[in-house]
Amino acid sequence: MRPLMLQGHERSITQILYNREGDLLFSSSKDNRPNVWFSINGERLGSYNGHQGAIWCIDVDWTSTKFMSGSGDMTLKLWSVETGKSVATIETKSSVRCCNFSFSGNQAAYSTDRAMGQECELSIIDVRTMDSSLNDASPISKIPMIHSKITSMKWFLDDTIITGHENGLIASYDIRMGREINSIKEHTHVIQDLQLSKDMTMFVTASKDATAKLFDVDTLTCLKTYKTERPVNSAAISPIYEHVALGGGQEAMDVTTTSTRAGKFDSRFYHLVYEEEFARLKGHFGPINSLQFHPDGKSFASGGEDGFVRIQVFDQSYHELVFE
Amino acid sequence: MPALDEYKSSWADEIELESGSLPPPTEDIDEHGVKTVTEYKINKDDKKVKVVRTYKLQKHVVSKSVASRRLLHKFGDSANDEPGPNSQTTFVSEDINMQLITNKEEEKSNDAVVDPKNQFAKCRFCNGGHFTTNCPYRHTAAYIEKILDTKPQASASAAETTSSKPGKYVPPFIKDQQKNAGNKGRDDTTAIRISNLSEATSDADLEELTNKFGKKSKMYLAKDKNTGLCKGFAYVHFYSKEDAAAAIETLDGFGYDHLILKAEWSKPQYN
Repeated sequence: MRPLMLQGHERSITQILYNREGDLLFSSSKDNRPNVWFSINGERLGSYNGHQGAIWCIDVDWTSTKFMSGSGDMTLKLWSVETGKSVATIETKSSVRCCNFSFSGNQAAYSTDRAMGQECELSIIDVRTMDSSLNDASPISKIPMIHSKITSMKWFLDDTIITGHENGLIASYDIRMGREINSIKEHTHVIQDLQLSKDMTMFVTASKDATAKLFDVDTLTCLKTYKTERPVNSAAISPIYEHVALGGGQEAMDVTTTSTRAGKFDSRFYHLVYEEEFARLKGHFGPINSLQFHPDGKSFASGGEDGFVRIQVFDQSYHELVFE
Repeated sequence: MPALDEYKSSWADEIELESGSLPPPTEDIDEHGVKTVTEYKINKDDKKVKVVRTYKLQKHVVSKSVASRRLLHKFGDSANDEPGPNSQTTFVSEDINMQLITNKEEEKSNDAVVDPKNQFAKCRFCNGGHFTTNCPYRHTAAYIEKILDTKPQASASAAETTSSKPGKYVPPFIKDQQKNAGNKGRDDTTAIRISNLSEATSDADLEELTNKFGKKSKMYLAKDKNTGLCKGFAYVHFYSKEDAAAAIETLDGFGYDHLILKAEWSKPQYN
């Protein structure tokens, strides 16, 4: 199947995200307009206009009604998915790096950068009302980050947040208690991405130290390591097979001085258990910044530094693949 | 139309011009659910263009929430878009095949394809494990060029490397040349092309057909992108040259699926 290319952004993609059913694909980039697309034919449903800075993070809730984007303009905006209207704007003291809805969609968490004399902080807000009253509401709780800046985050069920940090640390926080439960330092460089498996028992991290690792959600034990030669920017676990997809490539700043082939901008597919690479897929001409499987596992999308989002449907040979 | 009268065109064009305005667009759906839309328009050079678009109609059964979202009005930057994908933002890119890595040692062996047994002989042309004069490509024009070029080029690039100080900008193509000096095409030296395969050949068949000859690094079976049927030829990359030679020996003239196969060395690509 030929891949769909979505060109709705003027700058490099920072995150892409499927909603739960997988019919919508959200994308955000360093320009100021997150986009939403129909994943089936690549038709753009709309863009969420209103930010003034680069969008670093996006999230959509379980029912695909609430959408959230955190930006370098020091705001977190909540949107109605269906109309593209901004519902609330929460001002922060530094740029918003990560944001997540809780599993129920009742709460949202966002982390702010350590910048301009501000420490990195994890804030939890109640988003049940979803109206402009959120603008002034103060967060339910704030957890100061003593380790280092949060660079990736996932909300696990309704009570735990797992964070990946700039120094390679992974920590989990109990939201009800407002304290750290566990932490582990397996990576040596910044953790760029963190994605849960479909059954939410494991998560995979992608790090600039050129590895992706698989962790157990409860104990934060490192189960598997997937090694590459280039920084890994994103990693995802297939919902139907024991496959892990890794996206990355050399640093964006070095891209112009090497050929596309040397940059290793392919998405790479590893076996979850054997840690062995079994396939590659070319496409982007810059490093891949974000990558996600469609919830049905039959296609996947990647967003790159080149500003394109690609939706690739796997061909039959992928599904027939048998490991020896 | 005086302007057009001045313009001397071929009679064929004139007949078309006389036929007047653009033909109406047509839509046709065949029994396989393939919709063909033919449109005519005039492009910016004032030439008539026929645009044929084929769609495959698919029906999807989805949950209510998904179906209701399909009916949403577009907003933001897409507010003025018509239903259906906008060609400004969505387009179909060229077909890209997943490269399956059948063997885990590919990475390593790519750097050292040369068979250790034959290391005393190294082809200057293809870096294969044989004397240059025995190179299978010696009859190609590129071979002669390459042999002629090898010496002066090597010394030139050596001079360049020594003169360039660390940290100095090296253009990517030079970098590539330095890195894979003579590397190009090496990959192809152990590749064979099998043709006259039947339409029904699948990847598994090809695998079965070739696995007795030795380890393969890559296998490519040309398939029709619409039907998925074999186009009749395939490329198989072996790790060792002997395996490839043995495969050619056996498969050339081999009867497979009522067809006589043809096996030969894959011709390297020059680009």
